[in-house]
Amino acid sequence: MKMLAYNVLAIYRRELQSYFASPLAYAIATIYWILAGILFKAAFDGVIDQGNYVDLQAQSGVPISPIDVPYELLRTYLGVMGSLSLFVLPILSMGLYADERKRGTLELLATSPITNWAVAIGKLLGVLTFFITMSLPLLLYEAIALNGVDPPVPLSVILLGHAGLILLAASVLSLGMFVSSLTDSTILAAILTFALVLCLWIISELAKNFGGIVGDALFNLSLLKHYTNLVQGVVDTSSLVLFASYIFLGIFLTAQSIDALRFQRS
Amino acid sequence: MIDVEHLSKVYGSTSAIADVTFSVEPGEILGFLGPNGAGKTTTMRILAGYLPATSGTAKVAGFEVHKDSMAVRQRIGYLPESPPLYPDMTVEGYLSFVAQIKGVNAGDRPQRIQSALTRCNLLEKRKTIIRKLSKGFRQRVGIAQAIVHDPPVIILDEPTVGLDPRQIIEVRNLIKNLAGDHTVILSTHILPEVSMTCSRVAIINHGQVVATNTPERLMTQLMGGSGYELEVEGDFESVQRCLQAVQGVTAIEPMSTDLLPQNRLKIKVVSGSETELGSEIATALVSHQLGLYEMRRVQASLETVFLQLTTEETPVENASEVEPSDEAIEETP
Repeated sequence: MKMLAYNVLAIYRRELQSYFASPLAYAIATIYWILAGILFKAAFDGVIDQGNYVDLQAQSGVPISPIDVPYELLRTYLGVMGSLSLFVLPILSMGLYADERKRGTLELLATSPITNWAVAIGKLLGVLTFFITMSLPLLLYEAIALNGVDPPVPLSVILLGHAGLILLAASVLSLGMFVSSLTDSTILAAILTFALVLCLWIISELAKNFGGIVGDALFNLSLLKHYTNLVQGVVDTSSLVLFASYIFLGIFLTAQSIDALRFQRS
Repeated sequence: MIDVEHLSKVYGSTSAIADVTFSVEPGEILGFLGPNGAGKTTTMRILAGYLPATSGTAKVAGFEVHKDSMAVRQRIGYLPESPPLYPDMTVEGYLSFVAQIKGVNAGDRPQRIQSALTRCNLLEKRKTIIRKLSKGFRQRVGIAQAIVHDPPVIILDEPTVGLDPRQIIEVRNLIKNLAGDHTVILSTHILPEVSMTCSRVAIINHGQVVATNTPERLMTQLMGGSGYELEVEGDFESVQRCLQAVQGVTAIEPMSTDLLPQNRLKIKVVSGSETELGSEIATALVSHQLGLYEMRRVQASLETVFLQLTTEETPVENASEVEPSDEAIEETP
């Protein structure tokens, strides 16, 4: 166990170092910040407009339920950040194994006394840490907007929303890592990952066309549904289990895929 | 240290290697020689635990490479055909990473890295980003990663590819220095490399080992013993009669007489396996009053052995079974 942790740490540090040394990663981070800024402003304006509308309706004597503007802002912003992540995360995960295959370094990892599991976990933690680091500056927007609101947004809601974003990112990156292990083309890995997570994102919409058990099952596989739960501040065990399952599945399939690759390599 | 028995690898309907058997003693350097597509890399990959064999067994330090993969991986250093490098890392950072995943203790790591850098002449490049290194230096970093954890067995697939002549000499010396403390198996196309660095050679062709022996014995056995080239005064029949009387001579053949003074001839004499008949031949010629103007020992070059073995229809398991061939006799430079 100690050896596993030691190996995971070695892979984690190398992976993290490679992101911080990559011009592509900085380019992605820059685009991510710009888009996140635009989306935050759009969410902010939208929620303010909504608040003004509710005020106007209330002053006109039209019965309308009041809205919690700070909470709505957080919910809307994290909602669009989830959608933005669907585009950004496949680009971060595309090279996880595809680059190793292309460079021939997979041969180094596969002939070292380190398990496929340790490599996959280390890589996932590395890319997830980079994503979290990349997202940290964005907290500034929220801090400015939510600073001094009365009543304050409960800390648990803020934390749960961001934990949801991290869990969503970990799930997408884990599945993306598996897709990346199937090909040595980074572009193909990014496209396939995007297609896969898009299906899992909107599967709840598709599920409406199916009835019965199949419909229910598909509905429960939806990333959007479970992410929305967490962003709304609802602690739902099934959401946590689903994200954990996607993360585990991605790691498991990656480990299996690397083994299969070695068996099939010609 | 390395025992390979009846190893086969089949991809679909194509056989990459078939019934490969050889062994490498501790401290020995075995050269794995073969043309492209002969199965060298496949054998190396199986030994390194990267590929499973279809049948047969391969053991490294007593551990079966597939069943006890982790134990084998701890005991090998492996340089694949193209060095497995991370271009965004510094040489030192990369070696530190490799040392970590190879299980070198944090305390021993600086010393092991320093030693690998020194042995591979990389000290001046230790802080350089690998992307900025020339091909030769990258190859050296590849070798450094194979030895950084001081493994008992080192597997090198084409270690001198891409190096300039000076670097090739350095790498050969490095490999020679590894012998004794380490067991080394290296594959190469370059024939002089094998004769210069390896204590034994395994020649592989079409996925089968066609000969295994020391380079010298391969060369000697292929031509059926020692050979001599003579420039003698007299007619061929007299010289032939004289030399046939020498015990151990197996063949006498005339060579071209172009550019020779009149009444002189050049002949080739082949003696029995591993017997030195130089003295007897000279004595016989002189005692028959046949003027001896030149006499030199000739040996088949490894290149000839290689071409002979890799173009033969029927593979043989041991070089001792290789039929003597006069065509294989060639002057040594």
